Amino acid sequence: MNSRLRLALLLLSLLVAVVAAPALAQDTTLTVLCTPQEDWCVAMTEAFEAETGIDTNYVRLSSGEALARLRASSSDPEFSVWWGGPADAFIAASEEGGLIEQYESPEAANIPDQYKDPDSYWTGVYVGALGFCSNVDVLEELGVEAPTSWDDLLAPELQGFVAMAHPATSGTAFTAFWTVVTLQADALEAEAAGTGYDEDGNPTEEAVDAAFEYFTALNNNILQYTRSGSAPGTLAGQGEIAVAIIFSHDCTKLQQEGFDGILTTTFPEEGTGYEIGGMAIILGGPEPEAARMWYDWALTAETQEIGPTVNSLQLPTNPDAAVSELAVNLSDINVVDYNFAAAGANRVAITERFDAEVASAPTE
Amino acid sequence: MNEQSKQVLLKLVDIVKEFPDRSGHGAVRAVDDVSLDIYDGEFLTLLGPSGCGKTTTLRLIAGFEIPNLGKILLEERDITQQPPNKRDMALVFQNYALFPHMSVYDNVAYGLQSQKMPRAQVKDKVTTSLSIIGLAGLEGRRPNQLSGGQQQRVALARSLVMEPRILLFDEPLSNLDAKLRVQMRSEIHRLQRSLGITSIYVTHDQVEAMALSDRIVVMNKGKIEQIGTPEEIYRYPKTRFVADFIGRANFLPATVSSTQNGSASLTVMGKQIDTRAPFEIEVGTVVTVMLRPEALTLRVDASLPQGVIEQAMYLGTEIEYMVRLDDIVITIVDNDPRKQHMFAEGETIGIDFIPEAVHLLPD
Amino acid sequence: MQGIRNSQQAKQFRALLKDPLLLVVLLFLIFFVVVAILLPIFSIVGESFSEEGLPLFRRYVTDPVYQNIVLNTLVMGTLVGAVGTGIGFLFAFVQVKLDVPFKRFMHFVALVPVISPPFALATSAIVLFGRSGSISRGIFGVRYDIYGLNGLVFVMALSFFTITYLNLRGMMEALDPALDEAAINLGASRWRIFRTVTIPMLLPGIASSFLLLFVEAIADLGNPLVLGGNYEVLATRIYVTIIGLYNPTGAAVLSIILLIPSLLVFVVQRYWISRISVVSVTGKPAGTPQTIKNPYVKWGLFAVVMFICLLVVLLYGAILHGAFVTVPGVRWDFTLDHFDFVLNGIGSQAMRDTTVLSGIATPIAAVIGILIAYIVVRKQFLGRDLLDFGAMLGIAVPGTIIGIGYILAFNTPIMIGDVTIIPKLTGGQAIFGGALAIVLVYITRSVPAALRSGVASLSQIDPAIEEASISLGADTVRTFRKITLPLIRPALFAGLVYAFARSMTTISAIIFLTTPQTKIMTQQILNEVENGRYGNAFAYCVILVAIVLVAIGVFYALVGTKTGAERRTKGE
Repeated sequence: MNSRLRLALLLLSLLVAVVAAPALAQDTTLTVLCTPQEDWCVAMTEAFEAETGIDTNYVRLSSGEALARLRASSSDPEFSVWWGGPADAFIAASEEGGLIEQYESPEAANIPDQYKDPDSYWTGVYVGALGFCSNVDVLEELGVEAPTSWDDLLAPELQGFVAMAHPATSGTAFTAFWTVVTLQADALEAEAAGTGYDEDGNPTEEAVDAAFEYFTALNNNILQYTRSGSAPGTLAGQGEIAVAIIFSHDCTKLQQEGFDGILTTTFPEEGTGYEIGGMAIILGGPEPEAARMWYDWALTAETQEIGPTVNSLQLPTNPDAAVSELAVNLSDINVVDYNFAAAGANRVAITERFDAEVASAPTE
Repeated sequence: MNEQSKQVLLKLVDIVKEFPDRSGHGAVRAVDDVSLDIYDGEFLTLLGPSGCGKTTTLRLIAGFEIPNLGKILLEERDITQQPPNKRDMALVFQNYALFPHMSVYDNVAYGLQSQKMPRAQVKDKVTTSLSIIGLAGLEGRRPNQLSGGQQQRVALARSLVMEPRILLFDEPLSNLDAKLRVQMRSEIHRLQRSLGITSIYVTHDQVEAMALSDRIVVMNKGKIEQIGTPEEIYRYPKTRFVADFIGRANFLPATVSSTQNGSASLTVMGKQIDTRAPFEIEVGTVVTVMLRPEALTLRVDASLPQGVIEQAMYLGTEIEYMVRLDDIVITIVDNDPRKQHMFAEGETIGIDFIPEAVHLLPD
Repeated sequence: MQGIRNSQQAKQFRALLKDPLLLVVLLFLIFFVVVAILLPIFSIVGESFSEEGLPLFRRYVTDPVYQNIVLNTLVMGTLVGAVGTGIGFLFAFVQVKLDVPFKRFMHFVALVPVISPPFALATSAIVLFGRSGSISRGIFGVRYDIYGLNGLVFVMALSFFTITYLNLRGMMEALDPALDEAAINLGASRWRIFRTVTIPMLLPGIASSFLLLFVEAIADLGNPLVLGGNYEVLATRIYVTIIGLYNPTGAAVLSIILLIPSLLVFVVQRYWISRISVVSVTGKPAGTPQTIKNPYVKWGLFAVVMFICLLVVLLYGAILHGAFVTVPGVRWDFTLDHFDFVLNGIGSQAMRDTTVLSGIATPIAAVIGILIAYIVVRKQFLGRDLLDFGAMLGIAVPGTIIGIGYILAFNTPIMIGDVTIIPKLTGGQAIFGGALAIVLVYITRSVPAALRSGVASLSQIDPAIEEASISLGADTVRTFRKITLPLIRPALFAGLVYAFARSMTTISAIIFLTTPQTKIMTQQILNEVENGRYGNAFAYCVILVAIVLVAIGVFYALVGTKTGAERRTKGE
């Protein structure tokens, strides 16, 4: 009887312990929501930890996923700072409200105005251009040249040999989408003023529809919409596809890491989009102090030189930071006039429409 | 056997036990209002066909089932709700239920160890008990290395070693072959008589019941049909069911010619006989009497009622005849070793019987 | 009558009250089933039938795009069910009915997928048979498009057929050879026996295997994510709806659509197939099974099965090999970088977390499973069947749904008045950094297997053996410890192994629950695969399998000793 009672009590107390266990309080830590490629996240957090002694954790999520995750936990945020990924997502987050907060970093003064939010919701930490990352062997086999325009991607030979990420999850893919929107708006504007852009300079509904038309056509050639923006590059490297629509620096990174001579980067002549990698403080995040330290630190020239050490060859936003010779300079290519504010504002509507109309549509 | 001199050890009072039926909505009454006294030191057998409630009654006594209604008293203490491990009883199972992962020794020692008995004492008792039962030397074996008879002995030793107030047997011999069964039967008989442990024994085998018991409780459909010594049960069955279930019985019509305090004159197969009549019967009515097959004989005698032999079977110890008399078939057993003649099938022959063997049954 | 029956229930209840330990255990088990399994499922139901949910139902059901996704899901489930059952049947048939060499090898190959991480095969299939596959392109010069339905069916059938194989082998072995002999005696040919005796006897087993695979396939998330291409199924759709769009209501509605066929299959399986089953597995077959003598049939089947074995070996070989080369499929230089990445780099946290959390969940799951089995088989009380059913839902419900259910149910603390009944379990700010939710999901997913093996094992133990112990004066606890537990040791061992392997390899339920503080290997593998870093993914897989194997060894040392029970089951 005695042993029975003891066991019963033990079980009961276990139950109580499980139910009543207090949340673990955490200090001297930092949780980063990291959107660029994994190894850069590692290099960054390790460097920050070394410098500040703050135990730094990160989760890598593509920008769409990151945005979703922030929304999911907005009542009780898990992250303190969000680093990297196209600024459109940051703009979307600030427009939506309740996700990120304004922060005027003393270091932000060094960053050119074009790379930061006038309202201080976000500040750019890197810049990079979108490109086509192609597998030369596969291209040769298919008998096509490396694409130099968006329309080249529609070639029937490329059916099932093109890949991009899903705009809902990936900022890269959304950048691609908005680039096409911009190009379509330019084209409409060229035909008749006022049809491509509205009074505020935002692309019109027609331009967006035209972009959807383009991606619906392209859907036929898409093998797979990946989750992460850079993933199609690897698919191309492995010869699973011919052309990946990714950021050019991601393609360069792959070339540095085993795919040299296999992958080649090209740009659409009519114009390509680019990203400003953003950074923001999470509203109500658990470690606000550490988050600001990270924010300031990430804008320094020294920090912005970490990327190239792990073959992340984006351009730094801090003019004092050294630029790798492998980096693609925006001035060397035709870049569209990417309206980040409009892109961010339209992000949610477009991704949902894309998901419903394009990505889930059956291919022929 | 003088019942007054005996003390009531266990008392069942108005026990009712129901189980949910297959549909789950209704209930099946397995034990229906059973009351029973068990005397100290006696060997009592619950006998009946399968489904009669005998095993359920035993399990109620053991405590594995709890009655819906009624009480169980052990030495006047109410133990109805007491869990089985607290009852001073040990049950010997039909399929032995030996612990397959333990040696013979550990099996027998198990109950004593549960009582936290000192190791040396356990050893002592186990050894004694194993030698009583004739298993000395097999301590280290596992149950699956034993024969069926040996397994049953281990099961018996395991219960005996506990020196329980009451030993319960649930058809312990039914899994043994015929020869071994007879052997174990006499073993149990010897042990019980020498140790004097009160025993309650469940079986459907009437021979086993007769051989072992001081008293037999015949059960049918959850009710007790009759309680009595083996002889009482065999010679004076109270109901047609008991008469039929214990041994073989012929049921014959008889006409009541007269009655007087407790006895009656009947006409059976044309013969006038006197018999006990423990219940009311009316003169002139037709009643049923029972005659055991060995109480009838066949004789060439024209004055007797004449039957036709439908079947004759030579069985060694006896010859069994099925004889048609008018519209009934009578079973007659001839076990007189002096007779050499066997009547042939189809023969017409006279049927006689021993008048004292006639037993009146209620309708 | 009615009165007595009520009093009987009252008596059962009173008996329960009298056994405080049993009562506490029972309450604990009920609490577990309600909180860890039923609550998340009800949250999904509640969310999807909310005001925002109902219009979505209408939209999803009428939208041709979604109709197509549902159709895709069902087609895939059916094909995987058919192909997987076919392979399982072949393996079982060869094992039982043919006298051929390498049977142990075949058996081993059939068991490997149990401990293999998800999408290990998918990834390896891409490397070997993809458009640039070492075999498809390297040897045959074909750019085979493995993405989509064909690739999914290929990989899933090979990943899931183990369960069919074990099921059908058990049934075939239990088939009484006397039936075959009787049929031969009546002049039937081998083929006729196969058609008219063997197949009909096995039909319930075949049907239930098919259904199991069907559910497994439609619930699978990892393979469609990696190999789906543009073949979209419900599981991936649910995933994107949460991960990409954060639309919990939409995900809940889609979950219900996925839940319907899964639950239907579960119920059919549980209440119908078990009833029509004609093979009694416990029956002792008499005589020796007849083996097939016809050399064409014999060696033909042998060749087919050996070919499948070869495929499996190749696929796993590619994983092992790929873990040691720079870029599998492209650059074949030897390297240990991938292992360095997993063992010392960012992978190490995931490796540690996953192992620790699985290690915590495993014994709990095994104990809960065995306890439920014990109570269900041995104790009488109202709602016994419900407890069993509830616990089984942990695996009958697709993992994605469990995961989303957890998000919906536990993202905020559950309060009654001002008292926190259950704290926030999911997300980085939850208790133990969300690890508790992950452990709970591990347990939830592993309990059913332990439960089933416990039930199977317990129902083979004569209740009289336990009653004998009680009759000899031992109480419930001593009886359970000294008698029942040793006798069900093999079941406990199986439960532990299964729980650990399942926890280490599960993805679909966990993917929604990882937090910054807790990293899970399968999720990391998925990240690596998605980003094409196959070397890292393969290294993860190799290490994961190694951990599982070590754990099996540990469990064996702990509970798998040679007890009488084992000897008994082996019939020594």
